[in-house]
Amino acid sequence: MSYIPNYIIPDLLLLILPFLVIGSRLFVKDNSKIPWRIANIGLVLIFALLNFIPLAGGSRFFINNWNVSDFGILMREVLVLSAILGVWLSKDYFNHGGDGKPAMNQIAEFIGTIAFATFGGITVISACDLLTFFLGLEIATIPMYALTAWNKRDQLGSEAATKYILMGSVATAFELFGFSYLYGFAGTIRFDAIQTAASNPNPLLWIAILFLFCGIGFKLTLFPFYTWAPDVYEGAPTPVTAVLSVTSKATAIAFLVMLVYGPLAPVREQIAPLIALLAGVTLFVGNLGALKQSRLRRFMAYSSIAQAGYIMIALLGDSAMAKTAIIYYLFVYALSNYLAFFVFGIIGHHREESFDSLRGLSKQNVSLAVALAVAMFSLAGIPPLAGFFGKFHLFFSGASTGHYGIVVFAVLNNVLALYYYLQVIKSAWADEADEHLTPLRMTRRQRWVIVLLTVAVILIGILPFLSNNVFAGFTF
Amino acid sequence: MTNEISISYLIFLMPLLTFVVNGLFLGRKSAKGAAAFAITCNGIAFASALYLAIKFFTVGLPPIVFQIPFLKFAENFAANIGLLVDPLSIMMLVVVTFIAFMVNIYSVGYMRGDRAEGRFFALLSLFSFSMLGLVAATNLFQMFVFWELVGVSSYLLIGFWYHKPSAVSASKQAFILTRFADSFFLFGIVLVSYVLQSFDFFAINSITLSYFKEHTINLGIMTVTQADALILGAVMIFTGGWGKSAMFPMHIWLPNAMEGPTPVSSIIHSATMVVAGVYLVARLFPFFAVCGNALELIMWVGAFTMVFAAVIACTQKDIKRILAYSTLSQLGYMMFALGACKIGSAVITTGWTASTFHIFTHAFFKCSLFLIAGSLIHQVHTNDLDAMGGLRKKMPVTYICALISILAISGIPPFSGFFSKDEIILAAFQGHHYVVFGLALLTSGLTTFYMFRLFFLAFHGKPRSESVAAGHVHEDFAMTLPIAILAVPALLSGIAAKGLFEHFFVPGKLRVPQLVLLPEAHWIPFVAVAIAVLALLIAWVLYASPKAKIERALDDVNRGGIYKTIYHKFYFDEMYYCVVRQFIFNGVAKIARNIQDYVIEGLVAAAVKFVHILGSLVRTAQSGNLTFYLGTLIVGIIIWRFIGNLPF
Repeated sequence: MSYIPNYIIPDLLLLILPFLVIGSRLFVKDNSKIPWRIANIGLVLIFALLNFIPLAGGSRFFINNWNVSDFGILMREVLVLSAILGVWLSKDYFNHGGDGKPAMNQIAEFIGTIAFATFGGITVISACDLLTFFLGLEIATIPMYALTAWNKRDQLGSEAATKYILMGSVATAFELFGFSYLYGFAGTIRFDAIQTAASNPNPLLWIAILFLFCGIGFKLTLFPFYTWAPDVYEGAPTPVTAVLSVTSKATAIAFLVMLVYGPLAPVREQIAPLIALLAGVTLFVGNLGALKQSRLRRFMAYSSIAQAGYIMIALLGDSAMAKTAIIYYLFVYALSNYLAFFVFGIIGHHREESFDSLRGLSKQNVSLAVALAVAMFSLAGIPPLAGFFGKFHLFFSGASTGHYGIVVFAVLNNVLALYYYLQVIKSAWADEADEHLTPLRMTRRQRWVIVLLTVAVILIGILPFLSNNVFAGFTF
Repeated sequence: MTNEISISYLIFLMPLLTFVVNGLFLGRKSAKGAAAFAITCNGIAFASALYLAIKFFTVGLPPIVFQIPFLKFAENFAANIGLLVDPLSIMMLVVVTFIAFMVNIYSVGYMRGDRAEGRFFALLSLFSFSMLGLVAATNLFQMFVFWELVGVSSYLLIGFWYHKPSAVSASKQAFILTRFADSFFLFGIVLVSYVLQSFDFFAINSITLSYFKEHTINLGIMTVTQADALILGAVMIFTGGWGKSAMFPMHIWLPNAMEGPTPVSSIIHSATMVVAGVYLVARLFPFFAVCGNALELIMWVGAFTMVFAAVIACTQKDIKRILAYSTLSQLGYMMFALGACKIGSAVITTGWTASTFHIFTHAFFKCSLFLIAGSLIHQVHTNDLDAMGGLRKKMPVTYICALISILAISGIPPFSGFFSKDEIILAAFQGHHYVVFGLALLTSGLTTFYMFRLFFLAFHGKPRSESVAAGHVHEDFAMTLPIAILAVPALLSGIAAKGLFEHFFVPGKLRVPQLVLLPEAHWIPFVAVAIAVLALLIAWVLYASPKAKIERALDDVNRGGIYKTIYHKFYFDEMYYCVVRQFIFNGVAKIARNIQDYVIEGLVAAAVKFVHILGSLVRTAQSGNLTFYLGTLIVGIIIWRFIGNLPF
């Protein structure tokens, strides 16, 4: 094994993991906990190993075609973290259902599918050519279709998955079209060669860019390609919604980072207006949509649409600054979002997932109400919670290249966002309790994860230098 | 030196400790324990602050800056977090810890028996901690973090009685409105720190604009010189203070914030948090002085708020609201004094001195007034002046303390307010801003009038409610004690601290010429006092003289017309009714009220409605129809082809 470099081991482990988890089912009983344990040990081990890879080492190439950059390593951490939290969140849905849906089956395959999607994301950030790039994106997307329809006895889930897969196919077609034009323009599929060619742009390149952005806009839920999101977020099982909102979004934004700071770097100036417009319109529409929702997951769908808009702003900055901002924000976003989903999940196990179910939460279960408030304040970007520093980085990155217009617009939109996040807090804290609501119970795992996430969101906010490795990762 | 730093740590750690201990453990178990713990810790914090202040001023230490890197943005560009101990921040530290100490004691009486007493003490300490962090910030970034934290604790405390819908909506309004202003502040920070590559106050305060005139910066819409960008940034930063200090037209949240418990109003919405905006301008004064006409804007915003709020205060009947408008008016004084420092391209520092002096004295008497109002409300169970009256005999200590504080705010010597207000008016005169000077004099008359109106209606005359008449009213020791203690600085802080603030002015390098030889105007105090006494007399005639008709004075339905007044013969006081009623109440005040109620609140309501309509639009587009969704993909690509600005 001496010829396998260290930095590739986590990737290999992640590739093997789903097979191990699913394969273990051949040897154990149906209700065995073995696959679940293997998955946990495996994912946590991968996450730990990733932390041991030294940063600031520039790019490392494995068989010439697998690039493990500093950005890639940190992005891997985000994706694996999201997978771990997603798996933890999903566990209870195999015991009893949530949000009025029946319980799910086949936990091993479920975890395996999430691991595949994660590996797809890793393929995207390791790609050195268009082919691997596209492949990674598809590996990341196709498991999501399956996950959405996991609950076979739930009609809404099937409907959502149908919409998702149909629209996803069209988006994939857009991307493929874009890729083919990019190839036609440069005559090569290698990123570095395309980058050289892009110094002399011609219409072929612009068409390619237009289609690539619109294609990925579907996954990143940019305007007007977001329409699937509320329906799918609502129809999919709750843990899948959480995974979709973090893993899928992180993969998509990584895709854009790879493109904008890779092959398209020479024309970044020219596509900046497009990025700014996409960001501005998306966050505005997301914020507007979130204003008048009564269902929690639909609300989270619009909230995450808006968050996608905010993340896009960072792409206006220079490479190091943008990457720092995006990685930092994704960490924070993953933690806050999962925290919110854990709280909503617990509520969904016993009640309908709607704003009305939150009523009187502060009196029935204070700790849950506190966790919810922390998650909402963090998503709204109120200091000293982690979300504020994340947003500040995004805005700063955008402003560093003089895009003040969009920064002002985004900052003002934050006020709008505050309004609807406060609605959630109001429901939980101020509204009178409804006697008809079933009481809430938490398992030990849920309690610990919520404590862990809450503490993480607060701590990263109070002591942001804890995450200094994120900032050290890029040579300024 | 290390000794001072460890002492100053104590100032911050004590409230934080209280918050954590009370919030997590003590609050739920024992309300008494939580209160005792909060009072002890806040007492220690105050003692430390006082020790630091005495040490600092007797020994004459240089400003202490202690900071560690907090968040790194680039190689040489990090946001720090730390402590800045200079005269200005020490003054604020002492004020904040002292007020917090008093309010904690007071709350024992006021919140007794409330179901969430423990939580109250925890949140109150969270607020003190945030406010102290804001005051001692070494840079804009840290200041903004604590600035928002102060806003959050204010939000939590206004909505403390969350079973009251009005409290919930008021807390939301306050939070969102200040947040709206803060988003400009944040943008200003991004802009200024990007141009200067620093968040540090000292660096920001030491710039010369000419250096930045040579470089340009792209603002997205247009390219401007860096100097212009800095001026824009200065205005944006001021906008943050504009909202936080509730200047017109962003003042509407403050009167509504009175829905919170009265101790909260006294510490947050009068003595400390709302002066944060003034503190911000004072802290960055050299920067604002350099940046074009920023100070002029500050002056006019302050001056207008001062008059506007004072006029409205004359017509209110809710005692907390009268005090809220009075706070607005006093904040206007502080703000315009800072702005009035500019003469052409030079500055004077009289206004700066006066403004910080007024922050100091105002904190005591206004906090005291709010605590007194809380005491009255606690006894009479209403905020309404209609139901008060005749409380003088029942609450003698409160009565005397109220008199002291009201004389202080009215600017009657030798009470504290006289000295600071006199300096402010003098500053306007020395800055050659004669219009504002006149307005300030006029407002000082209005101040005296509405404060004595409150005083006479609440304490004098016959009891107008049954509970007062029946003698159920008494003084609560825990509540009267802090009121009595606060009366001392309300009386003496002016004489004691006069002249001290002139030595405070060291927040950076002033890069504009400073005028030192200024005209003295010894006649100003006499004029100001004469106006105040005249206003006092008017208030007495209307509301306390034996002939005064309280029912008519309070009657806001059947306002006597001029005709009626004449018909009722021309008594001296009737003429006053005529002037005051027809001119001030029906004329100016009504117009001012209407502007606030219909124009500003209407605009806010319209904006909210507009956004909600757009929200419904987005919601309706989400039809669930797959064909439509697929269509959006195609339409989307066409849209972005044309508006995406791609060069083809």
